[in-house]
Amino acid sequence: MEALARHSSEPRAGRSFDAGEEPSSDPQERLIRTALAPVTGTSLAYYLWVAFLLMVIAWGAYAYSRQLRDGLVVTGMRDRISWGLYITTFVFFIGISHAGTLISAILRVSQARWRTPVTRMAEFITAVALICGAMFVIIDMGRPDRVQNIILYGRWQSPIVWDVLAITTYLTASIAYLFLPMIPDLALFRDRLRGRAPAWRTRLYDLLSVRWQGTNSQWRSMGAAITTAMILIIPIAVSVHTVVSWIFAMTLREPWNSTIFGAFFVAGAIFSGIAMLIIVMAILRKVYHLEEYITEKHFLYLGYLMAALALIMMYGNVSEYATTGYKMSGETQFHFRQLFLEQFAGFYWFYFVGGLVVPGLLVLLPWTRNIWGVVVAAVLVVAAMWVERYFIVVAGFRVPLMPYKPSVYAPSWVEISVVAAGFALFALLITLFVKIFPIIAVWEVAEDLENAEITLAAERLAPDPAGGGR
Amino acid sequence: MKAMIKVLLVLVALGGAVFALAGTANAADVKVQIVAPKEAVVGRPVDIQATLHLAGDSSALAGVPVTLYTEASFGDVTGDIELAKAMTDANGVAVLSYEPRSAGDHQIRVEYLAPGASAPEVATASISVAGSTQQLYRSTAGVQIPGLNVWLLMAVLAGVWAILLSIALRVIAIARAGADVGALLPRGASRQMGGDDASQLDTTRKGVTHK
Repeated sequence: MEALARHSSEPRAGRSFDAGEEPSSDPQERLIRTALAPVTGTSLAYYLWVAFLLMVIAWGAYAYSRQLRDGLVVTGMRDRISWGLYITTFVFFIGISHAGTLISAILRVSQARWRTPVTRMAEFITAVALICGAMFVIIDMGRPDRVQNIILYGRWQSPIVWDVLAITTYLTASIAYLFLPMIPDLALFRDRLRGRAPAWRTRLYDLLSVRWQGTNSQWRSMGAAITTAMILIIPIAVSVHTVVSWIFAMTLREPWNSTIFGAFFVAGAIFSGIAMLIIVMAILRKVYHLEEYITEKHFLYLGYLMAALALIMMYGNVSEYATTGYKMSGETQFHFRQLFLEQFAGFYWFYFVGGLVVPGLLVLLPWTRNIWGVVVAAVLVVAAMWVERYFIVVAGFRVPLMPYKPSVYAPSWVEISVVAAGFALFALLITLFVKIFPIIAVWEVAEDLENAEITLAAERLAPDPAGGGR
Repeated sequence: MKAMIKVLLVLVALGGAVFALAGTANAADVKVQIVAPKEAVVGRPVDIQATLHLAGDSSALAGVPVTLYTEASFGDVTGDIELAKAMTDANGVAVLSYEPRSAGDHQIRVEYLAPGASAPEVATASISVAGSTQQLYRSTAGVQIPGLNVWLLMAVLAGVWAILLSIALRVIAIARAGADVGALLPRGASRQMGGDDASQLDTTRKGVTHK
C-alpha cells in the first residue's frame, strides 16, 4: 500500500492510461494502469456488446409487458405445474450469488492470498446475481403489486417469508462486503481520474470513497468492518440457499421430501458460483488484458474447488436417491421413471455426466488441466446446474398429487424471452460495473506484490543453508 | 314310459337346482336402510347409518364392509370420493362418519358387498348441507419445543441487522476521519495522492509514516 500511495502521488499531468501506451516497467504502476484501463478506454466492440444486451432486454421487457397485460396465462405454467422457468432461474441466480461469498469471504477468512485478484469479480457477481434472482420471484408472481402482501400479510412461519428476509439481508450484506474493500480503490480512482472523467463519475467516486485519505484510523475502521462482514456473510449465504431449498422441501411433494436438500442446495450453489466466476474471470481477463494478475494458477485452484464440489454433488445425488429409492413409494417410482428413463432423462443424464463427471475429469486429467480445460468445465457446470434446477422444479410438480393424468409443461415464448432478458441483464450489469468500478482489488494486489518483493529480498539476504551464503 | 321317466328326472334335477340357488343370499335378498340427517352443516361431522338385513327372515347381516361415497369435481376431474368405511355390527348396522366440506344438496352413495355376491350393491340417499364457504383446515398441535418460535427468528434477524448497522457506523467513522484529515489539506489535495501536506501523515495500513 505504501508503494501504491507513492505511485498514486506522482504527477499525472499529461498521463494517459489509454490503450496503446507504453507499458510501465514498475509493477505497481502497471497494476494501477491495468485497473484504470477498463474505465478510461472504450472500444467499439464494447458498444456493440451493450447494444446487443439492451436489445435482448428490450425484447424481454416487451414479453413481460404482455404477461402484465394478459396475466400468467401467457406462460406455460398452469395449476398443476405452477412453477417453471422463472423459479428455475431464480434458484439458479441465487446459487450463482455464492461465488462472492466463497471466494471472497471464506478464502479471506482462511487467509488464502491467491484470491486477491479475483475477489472483486466474485463480489460483483454476488451482488448482480442477487438482484437478477430476486427479480424473477416478482416476475413469477404475475402481479408485482402483490409483493406488498408478503409484508402486510406474510406469516413468520412461512418459508416464503424466511426467503424474503434471507435474500434481503444477504443482498444488503453482499453490497456492504463489495463496497468495504473497494473504498481505497475508489479513492484511487477519485484521485487519478479527477479532471479526466465526466463530472458525474468524479462525483460518484467522491461520494463512494467516503473521504478516504488512507489514515491509520481509516485503515483500522475498514479492517474491522471487513472482518465483521466476512464472518457475518458466510452464515447468511448458507442460510439463504438453505431457505431456498426449504421452499421445496417443506412442500408436500414426494420428489422434494429430502432431509439433505438444504446442504445439497448450498453445495450446488457454491459449485455453480465457482463455475460462473471462472467464466467471468476468463472473459474479463481476455477483454481487459489481466493476464499478469489472473494467471493459470487462479483457474486451476478454482478448478480444483469445482472438482471437489462435483464429488460432493455426486455424493448428494447418490445419498438422496438411494434412500428414497430403497423405500420406493408409488410417487417415488413415478418420479424415478420420469427422471431417469422418460421425460426428464435427457436433462438428468446431461446434468450428471455433462455437469458433474466430465468437468471433474477435465480439471483433474493432466491433458486438460489448463485454462481452457477449466473454462470448458465451468461452462458445462453452469449449464448443467441450470438444468438441474429445471428438473427439480418441473419434475417435482409433475408427480400427480391425485389420480389425474400427469401434466406437461412447455415454456412459452414469453417465459423464454424474459429469462433471456434476465441473463442479458446479468451480463449488462457486470459489463457496466466493470466500466465504472475497479475491476481488481488494487490495494490488496499491491500488498501481495509488496509482500512478494519483501519475501524475495529476505530470501536473497538469508544465509545459504549449506553455509555458503549468497 | 321311458320318456316320462326322463322328463320327470329332468324336472327333479331342475327343481333341485332352483332350490339350491334359492339357498344362496344375493343382493336382491338384502334390505338396506340408510338413515341420514336431512340437514347438516359444513364442517360439522354427521353420522350416517346403513342397516343391512336379509330380505327373507329379516336377520341382520353382520361383518359386511360398507363404503360411503360422494361425487366431486376437482380441476377438470370428476369422480367418486371415498368419504368413510365401516363394518356392520351384530345388528347389521354400519355407522359412517362424514364431515361435509361444502354447502348444497349432496348425493351420497353407500356400497356394500353382500355375502355370496360377486359385485357390490349400491344404495343412495341425499343430504342437504347448510353453511357458507369457510376455512375448515385446522393445524395439528405438533411438537412445541420451548424457545423455538418466531421470537427466536426475530432475535436472530435483529442480531444480524444490528451487526450490519455496526458496519455502516464504521463507514461513517471512515468518512469522519477523512473529513478531519481533509481539513488539514489544501483544497483539491488528497492523502491518497500523497501531496506535500499529506506526506506528514500515515499512509499505509501498516502505519508507516512518510516524512
